[in-house]
Amino acid sequence: MITSIPLVLGIETSCDETAVGIVAGRKLLANVISSSVEEHAKFGGVVPEIASRAHLEAMQGVIRAALSEAKVSINDIDAFAVTAGPGLIGALLVGTSSAAGLALGLDKPLYGVNHLSAHIAVDSLDSDHKLDPAIALLVSGGHSSILQVNELTSDVITLGSTIDDAAGEAFDKIARILELGFPGGPAIDLDARSGNREAVDFPRGLTLAKDLIDHRYDFSFSGLKTAVSRYLAKTPGYIRADISASFQEAVVDVLLTKAIGAAKEVGIEVLIIAGGVAANSRLRESAEERCEKAGIRLRIPPMNLCTDNGAMVAALGSLALTNGLAPSEIGLTADSASGVARAIF
Amino acid sequence: MNTFLAIDTSTSRTSVAIIKERTVIFQAHHDGALSHGEILPQLVSKALRAENIIDEVIVGMGPGPFTGLRVGISFAQSFAFARGIKWVGICSLDSIALQISGNDFLVAVDARRKEVFYARYTDRKRVGEPSVCQPSQLIPLDIPIHGEESNEFPSPANFAEIAKEGQKYLAPIYIRRPDAFPAPIGVKFRAMGQLDLVPAFAIEKSVYGSEGWSMEQLKEEYHGKNRGYIAGESGGKLIAYAGVTNLGGIADVLTLTVADGHRRKGIGRELLRRLIDWARSQKCKAIMLEVRVGNEEAIPLYTSFGFIEISRRRDYYGPGKTAIVMRKDF
Ligand SMILES: [Zn+2]
Repeated sequence: MITSIPLVLGIETSCDETAVGIVAGRKLLANVISSSVEEHAKFGGVVPEIASRAHLEAMQGVIRAALSEAKVSINDIDAFAVTAGPGLIGALLVGTSSAAGLALGLDKPLYGVNHLSAHIAVDSLDSDHKLDPAIALLVSGGHSSILQVNELTSDVITLGSTIDDAAGEAFDKIARILELGFPGGPAIDLDARSGNREAVDFPRGLTLAKDLIDHRYDFSFSGLKTAVSRYLAKTPGYIRADISASFQEAVVDVLLTKAIGAAKEVGIEVLIIAGGVAANSRLRESAEERCEKAGIRLRIPPMNLCTDNGAMVAALGSLALTNGLAPSEIGLTADSASGVARAIF
Repeated sequence: MNTFLAIDTSTSRTSVAIIKERTVIFQAHHDGALSHGEILPQLVSKALRAENIIDEVIVGMGPGPFTGLRVGISFAQSFAFARGIKWVGICSLDSIALQISGNDFLVAVDARRKEVFYARYTDRKRVGEPSVCQPSQLIPLDIPIHGEESNEFPSPANFAEIAKEGQKYLAPIYIRRPDAFPAPIGVKFRAMGQLDLVPAFAIEKSVYGSEGWSMEQLKEEYHGKNRGYIAGESGGKLIAYAGVTNLGGIADVLTLTVADGHRRKGIGRELLRRLIDWARSQKCKAIMLEVRVGNEEAIPLYTSFGFIEISRRRDYYGPGKTAIVMRKDF
């Protein structure tokens, strides 16, 4: 084992995945995820109490599985990292407490990290390209933002975010209306493949000239949801796949128009797309076409690193350690609503 | 001999102790129901400066409010794993009981939502498993009650003693089920239509008898302004319905009725959830409803959604039948 490359173990419990990742510098060694999504499917959405309960049940097993996947011992770990926010507070606390137990048990540094920044940090894994500057489009069930990443661990600016539902949430809600089940993203993606995405011209939220003054890079998906319900109510013989495809197209269109617009206007030619919705096949396809046309380099992490995972947390912890940042204080405060300005707690 | 690190986060107090050779060499606590996550690592860090070589971790497994409880347990499990040592879970109420002299008493701690977790101790032994109830239900037992109310908390200093002789737990002592219920199976929810009024009236009659609405009242309410009506059907048959209206920014539940033989399956819960969604979509600032005093099925349901009693109306459901007015603010 080369001792100069730090081994970092990262824990993620901000929503419904109990996840642990291990990295050696920028090299990914392990990424283990236990999801309670099936539990939540019965309720049509994530239930915080059930998520927290599942985190505690899964945590020890997931830590052990990650160590065995990485073929290292807990004593080999040089530093720990944990998602300290944003997220569900009861869920975050299971992660931060577990990480604190490990760090104090072994007398090693602990980095509390920002979940959104970690989504971007995952782009550093298994490559040596320069991470920043970049524009990041983060889209999932919990967040939809466009970030300007000048320096990931110290200088990230939020250019825009959703003013109502997150993109993933919109997928869940439409899937519920179309009776496609939970989670909605993969279900609509699949259904849309046999549909016509030009069948219905659903509205693109906050894209009118007057919206662009105050909400240039912000999103709004609640109007789209209303438009879909209204359309279904007045169109008895609608074709479901067409609705899925047209709805998906509206979301993808507005996400990419704003993200690519931001990259061009700010003058940064790298776009990183991450978060659960980055797994959407139409978003990936359309992003490739449109970025190429716009002369922007597109980077989308592999699917299993787009959704919430521990490797992204370890990756950010590792960057913080390498950049010589001070670890978090003992007893860091988890912050359910923390903004992206704070990458390391 | 052994050195134990003992931790408890099952009450509003976070406490830590180190017991070495049967002697308590470190003991500290901090009060604050929302600070377990920050305080526990700080206290343990201090404790380790007193003694860094630990042979076993003992942790209070509750019962207690879940969020704080999980902080202690996940910390203890991870610390033990990191050190390659054992961890043991004990019942936190046993620790309070051990501090009390007496032959028959109760130990009770705050369970939130106006309830307490409690256990009875007779001849220095716990009688059965801990349970949950309203504090008023303990009064008729007429035996002393110890615990948080009288400033008595679990004390990790005596955890080694309990771990040696008392009952051990591998999982948190939750007692309560999660506050979530699956959506009812086989029931379809949709907007209520005019054609539903006839079967709705039949349900109204069989559930409420002469106190129910007449067909005319039902119709009139249904056709009123700013209404949201939801129907639940099973096998093509109407089995439940609910209605709500927006009165100048405050939503008022008009009815929420589930047919006989279909209750206790989560249908009422789902209807209420949808009424609340409707009120939110109307940008109402609160939602209100009336429920009959003593309706043991409905009141806990409303409470679990965050409704609180704001007043009572006498003779609302007829002479001598009082209604409780409940309200939930958004
Ligand atoms: Zn995420």
